[in-house]
Amino acid sequence: MATLTAPAPRAVPAVLKHHAVRKLAFLALLAAVLGPLAAARWGGPAWPHTLTVDLTGPLTGVSDWIIDNRDSHPLFLYFFGHLSNAVVVSVRAVYLFLLAAGWAGVTALAAAVAWRAAGARLAVGTAVAFLACGALGMWVPTMQTLALMVVAVLASVVVGALLGLAAGLSDRMDRALRPVLDTMQVLPAFAYLLPVVLVFGIGVPAAVLATVVYAAPPMARLTALGLRGADGEVLEAVDSLGATARQRLLTARLPLARRELLLGVNQAIMMALSMAVIASVIGAGGLGDRVYQALASVDVGAALAAGIPIVLLAVVLDRVTGAAGARLGQERTSGRPWLPAAAALAATVVVAVAARLAGRPQWPTSWTVAIAEPVDRAVDWMTAHLYSGVPYVGGTADWAGHFTTWVLDPVRSALLWLPWWSVLLIVAALAWLIGTWRTALTAVAALAVIGVLGVWQPALDTLSQVLAAVAVTLVLGLATGIAAARSDRFDRLLRPVLDVFQTMPQFVYLIPVVALFGVGRAPAVAAAVVYALPAVVRITAQGLRQVDAAALESARSLGATSGQQLRQVQLPLARPALLLAVNQGVVLVLAVVIIGGLVGSGALGYQVVFGLAQGDLATGLVAGVAIVCLGLMLDRVTQPTERRATKGA
Amino acid sequence: MALTVPTRKPPTDAATAAEPVFRVDGLWKVFGPKAERVPADPELSALGPAELRARTGCTAAVRDVGFEVRKGEVFVVMGLSGSGKSTLVRCLTRLIEPTAGTVAIDGEDVRAMDKARLRALRRHRAAMVFQHFGLLPHRTVLDNVAYGLQIQGVGRAERRNKAAEMVAKVGLSGMEHRRPGQLSGGQRQRVGLARALAADPEVLLFDEPFSALDPLIRRDMQEEVIRLHQEEGRTMVFITHDLQEALRLGDRIALMRDGRVVQLGTPEEIVGSPADDYVRAFVRDVPREQVMTVRTAMRPATADQAGSGPALAPHATVAEAIEAVARAGAPARVVDRGRCLGVVDSEALLGVVAGTTGPGTGTDPKGTTGAGTDPEAV
Repeated sequence: MATLTAPAPRAVPAVLKHHAVRKLAFLALLAAVLGPLAAARWGGPAWPHTLTVDLTGPLTGVSDWIIDNRDSHPLFLYFFGHLSNAVVVSVRAVYLFLLAAGWAGVTALAAAVAWRAAGARLAVGTAVAFLACGALGMWVPTMQTLALMVVAVLASVVVGALLGLAAGLSDRMDRALRPVLDTMQVLPAFAYLLPVVLVFGIGVPAAVLATVVYAAPPMARLTALGLRGADGEVLEAVDSLGATARQRLLTARLPLARRELLLGVNQAIMMALSMAVIASVIGAGGLGDRVYQALASVDVGAALAAGIPIVLLAVVLDRVTGAAGARLGQERTSGRPWLPAAAALAATVVVAVAARLAGRPQWPTSWTVAIAEPVDRAVDWMTAHLYSGVPYVGGTADWAGHFTTWVLDPVRSALLWLPWWSVLLIVAALAWLIGTWRTALTAVAALAVIGVLGVWQPALDTLSQVLAAVAVTLVLGLATGIAAARSDRFDRLLRPVLDVFQTMPQFVYLIPVVALFGVGRAPAVAAAVVYALPAVVRITAQGLRQVDAAALESARSLGATSGQQLRQVQLPLARPALLLAVNQGVVLVLAVVIIGGLVGSGALGYQVVFGLAQGDLATGLVAGVAIVCLGLMLDRVTQPTERRATKGA
Repeated sequence: MALTVPTRKPPTDAATAAEPVFRVDGLWKVFGPKAERVPADPELSALGPAELRARTGCTAAVRDVGFEVRKGEVFVVMGLSGSGKSTLVRCLTRLIEPTAGTVAIDGEDVRAMDKARLRALRRHRAAMVFQHFGLLPHRTVLDNVAYGLQIQGVGRAERRNKAAEMVAKVGLSGMEHRRPGQLSGGQRQRVGLARALAADPEVLLFDEPFSALDPLIRRDMQEEVIRLHQEEGRTMVFITHDLQEALRLGDRIALMRDGRVVQLGTPEEIVGSPADDYVRAFVRDVPREQVMTVRTAMRPATADQAGSGPALAPHATVAEAIEAVARAGAPARVVDRGRCLGVVDSEALLGVVAGTTGPGTGTDPKGTTGAGTDPEAV
């Protein structure tokens, strides 16, 4: 056997090179044949008008029909209507409960939950975070967001767990669901807004449902993963004891998947918060709405006052649920485990009642700290002193301007200058070289749909921003990641920063960049870079650190310098991680570049916002589909081939 | 490494006659597409593993295996990895569904059982101990041991009492409230053993239970199994890839290669008369004096020898006889129930150690058919 497999490693690179050359040759041939043909037939670099389909008419028709029939058609009366009412009623109920509990009651309850789930330190942190929300004068919006979150998270967890259960127990369901969930994972949050608005109109039900659609997939994926990842021998042991299918599920499979289930809840909560904030665009209200309104009038102070509670909420929710997961398996079995929980609950009730009796159920206005004004003053000072004309370094606005004129504009013009068919070919070549012909075909088809929909130009505008942001992200991210992998001290310094940055919702990244760079395309790119950077850094550093220690040691024993180790051992061996970093970088950048439509980045994101703001759903929907296609294309182009571990047995 | 085989109890003649616990006949397990055609087709079933793979895409893990497990014995199935032994033991309770052949427990056809009957079999009649323990990480030791009883629907108090008893039996008292993650490998396997014992099954199935353990711990656990077997006399089917373990524990050993049983016999038969070169290569390094008994080495006694010299039981090992002979300076008698069966002298004992005499000599192929001293045949 050994002699049979020995020559294989030498043969693989040769074959690969051969394949790559063959793929490129095939595409070059295709270009040589189709290029002149297309140029002669349609001419001009833009997507030919004859190849577009105008969907505005039919879409407007559908939208009008829905608006006309929303109150009469049985589908709405008996299904969507009930759904919508149920959502409104439950969000309202939670909101009223939170208000009735008062600020003291809610803070005490949150701290009690954090204490039981994650320990005393996080309980204190949670209480401080909630009090800070009150102090910033954001108590009521925080409760609105929280109420929406509670309902959305519960629904996401239930829906996600059911889907995950189906996919975890049935192979057929798994095969059907997995590609759908995988694809949903890479789509920007903005793309989910329009379909729900089309059906439910702008308002809380639409916001909750968009949030559920966005937050349920990770729960479903992780549930299925946990169920499928169970130790086979344990399940066999359970079978060998004569368990029925139900006993097997309840006493073995689900408990064995507890860690993944909790991680799924954590992910669902974080995604739900992210979406609940973005959904302010479709009427979610709460903190997100405050940020949205403030950004619309470029009022950084007000945006920050609402943004800080969002960040605090995100950090608290992530840490508490994360710590609950990490504590699994370490719990001690004391005699009466419910006793501390009961005590905590009693304390909460006492605090809430006390605050009520003291006549302060609502946050006292005298206790708020108005940060909007000082922040605005600081921003004014920055505008006056840092925006431009700083000696030698220039100003932030100058940087943004230079970036726009020297990077964004050339990239955009280059993309628009390229004939449309050559863009398709380039995408095909990239996707085929990195992945398989299947991913290449998907990518090209997705791009072609954009052209057919007639949004070629704005899509390429968005693409130019994405490319610029990805380039910056990768340069910074890979360098930082390599540094973090090589220096333990740097890694320790970086870790808490990355932790905080990774938990923040996309939306809040827009606030500081608007303060620094004003509005336009450059700030959107900056926000995208800041948002995508932590993931890229983390994946790079992890990939480099997980390189086989034996391989590294053998290189060291041969006398390799640290540079040689990095170039010849670590980077080649960490190739899968680096490709994943690129993929994640692209997906995350796209999500924020699209949201950048709120701060003047134009292109597809703006069309969605415009469609929502003007009630012109046709425009918005077309842009939304284009965003989906762009996301699909970018993901497929950067998706490395999944090698089958073993063929056959 | 010295191999000390505990003094073997004489083969239980009474049990031999009784109905076997497991009767396996013509058993096949084939993995792959349309597996059922392989055992049915004499041409396909005659193919070697590589050819079968090339022709049909199937792999035969168990090929035409037949044996009986007698009541009260330790039946060892031994073979290298990939020989099909783990698949075989799973076929016994249909954790893996056999492709062809019959499996019967106490005369009842296992393959014909419906789901409920099969569950009853797994719950009450056969319990299994796994290589990597198969414990539930979120339950305490006590709850893990009680798990089988919980599956059976035994009430909480009763199953906890029973589990506590089993925990004490395997020497884990005081650790009832730990979780598997807080135990060492040997302790975890004791939990696995206690869980299997808790159901009070008729037969215990062990699937390489000690191969994940350190050598010293493994030895402790083997002694634990021997002790349990001596105390309770429970029937055991024991899978292992470790020859020394097989020789220590087994009353009879089935040696498997490529899905077939190549030899089935007592440790003495396997070591003394290997069926083919594969088995011979396998047992080459076994210290023969610790496996072979004086039955093999003895020759008929002359009248004067029958009255004098140290006495040995027929199942005493050659190593024990050497010690006795060396001490007395004279041949030793082999005595069974007061009757002298024969004598062993230093020459005969040396011959066994050197492998030049005995039922099957290691170097002389003709020897396999020569001597008629098969203990089973007596």
